[in-house]
Amino acid sequence: MNSKVTNRIALSVIFLCAAAMAAILLSMLGYILVKGVTSISWHFLTTSASPFLAGGGIKDQLWNSFYVLVITMLLTVPIGVCGGIYLAEYAKPGRLTSFIRTCVEVLASLPSIVVGMFGMLIFVNYFGLKYSVLSGALALTVFNLPVIVRVTEDGFRALSRHQKEGGLALGLTRWHTIKTILLPAAFPSILTGVILSAGRVFGESAALLFTAGLSSPDLDFNNWNPAAPNSPLNIFRSAETLSVHIWAVNTGGIMPDVQTIANGSAAVLVISVLIFNLIARMLGKVIDQKFSGK
Amino acid sequence: MMIQMENNIVTFANNNTVNKEMPIQINVEHVDIYYGDNHAVKDVNLPIHEKSITALIGPSGCGKSTFIRTINRMNDLIPSARCEGTISYKDVNILNPKVDVVQLRKEIGMVFQQPNPFPKSISENIQLPLRFAGVRNKKTLRKATEDCLKQVGLWDEVKDRLDRSATSLSGGQQQRLCIARALALKPDVILLDEPTSALDPVSSSKIEELLLELKNSYTIIIVTHNMQQAARIADFTAFFYQGELVEFGETRKLFTNPEKKSTSDYISGRFG
Repeated sequence: MNSKVTNRIALSVIFLCAAAMAAILLSMLGYILVKGVTSISWHFLTTSASPFLAGGGIKDQLWNSFYVLVITMLLTVPIGVCGGIYLAEYAKPGRLTSFIRTCVEVLASLPSIVVGMFGMLIFVNYFGLKYSVLSGALALTVFNLPVIVRVTEDGFRALSRHQKEGGLALGLTRWHTIKTILLPAAFPSILTGVILSAGRVFGESAALLFTAGLSSPDLDFNNWNPAAPNSPLNIFRSAETLSVHIWAVNTGGIMPDVQTIANGSAAVLVISVLIFNLIARMLGKVIDQKFSGK
Repeated sequence: MMIQMENNIVTFANNNTVNKEMPIQINVEHVDIYYGDNHAVKDVNLPIHEKSITALIGPSGCGKSTFIRTINRMNDLIPSARCEGTISYKDVNILNPKVDVVQLRKEIGMVFQQPNPFPKSISENIQLPLRFAGVRNKKTLRKATEDCLKQVGLWDEVKDRLDRSATSLSGGQQQRLCIARALALKPDVILLDEPTSALDPVSSSKIEELLLELKNSYTIIIVTHNMQQAARIADFTAFFYQGELVEFGETRKLFTNPEKKSTSDYISGRFG
């Protein structure tokens, strides 16, 4: 076989794989959207779920999903980015460092149901946080932290060594070089990683079943006092998220329009993740331009 | 492969400006540098004269880059690197671990082979190190930016787009920006590690002219692969081979009447 033929075969195989991937993605998205979009209405988005009557919405679940996501990101991003910077820039190669790196990898590959059980034992029971937004966010932190650490470390390692040398040779300290030169340069790749992990967190259900709970109090969207038991901002109340809701409705829902609710919720979940991606990408572009000059 | 290069094609544009009276600014005594077990630089003794250009030449892997990176302690970044001996500068041994490397690098600046402007605006490239050094006044910063860019002959080319990204400049412009950036901190010494090897000939000659101008105010040490470049601009030349400093002397003497056989072999193109 001559090399031209080999080349063509390799190209076709790669193209086919890429096309198959795109096709699977598009058909899944299409299926979910086509089945679900018709159930989405303003009423669906802004009405509380009803336990057994038709016509319930997903207002609280949608809010809970975003709220748990925000709290999780507030916990994971600062810690994860610092950890990643430590591994990429400060840690000396050695036993301790490779031990830390192994821990991060193991943590990243834990099944989410295990993380959920761990969260229930530690946060819910031991620390007495009960089924709450905070317990859920902490469990998701366990599950998301290694991803952020990894993404940050890779982002820093991908930068050219010349940038760091340039900063240090100009009499900048190591920290200042990291803060003013390397972090802005690595920002777009870190942001992309954070977005991808946010999608995962947003859609996570297993880790939340036993930590954030399967129910929410009747949220009063006029009460923004974080200490009130029915306030949307209270982090000590239980919070059923959208993906947990999909699971719960599908497995044990007794309302007559179970299918509609499940399909609509799935579509909302997918659309939210898509919108989220687009916004964050645009934001990343703008910030990158601002850092690097026009 | 043998590259034939006759000595007579080497020109000495700079031969009249050698000033033997210039005092020694940096004195290198018995410096040994190791990477793990690898003895990369062996017992180097070398005086660096103030306000003159010293070129370090030699074949790849001869230790010249390792050596120049030791003068502002950039080799600290390499965990396995170890350095012994004395490099005295202002009555201090630079190699002493207690030396404040941040301050040292402000006084001994460095420009690298690959132009490495920060992915920020042109003015920010110059102002960032200045701000870190404590300059806050906006007017002073703007003035310094203009002065430095004028010093490297870049001002007229970029004055209308100071807020554009430095990475949008050409390679030669980027390298001059890197030199401007190093000048902003008003160092005493500028180290250049093959500053023109990634550039086209026109940009290279611009940088060479610039260096000849800068040596009136700064001490310059340059590593170069290009022997003609050393001959054109350097007052003193040091020939490194296999980690040893084989020969050091005034450029003209080293090129026309070298003392060691390996020096004459190298400059006449018999190896390297």
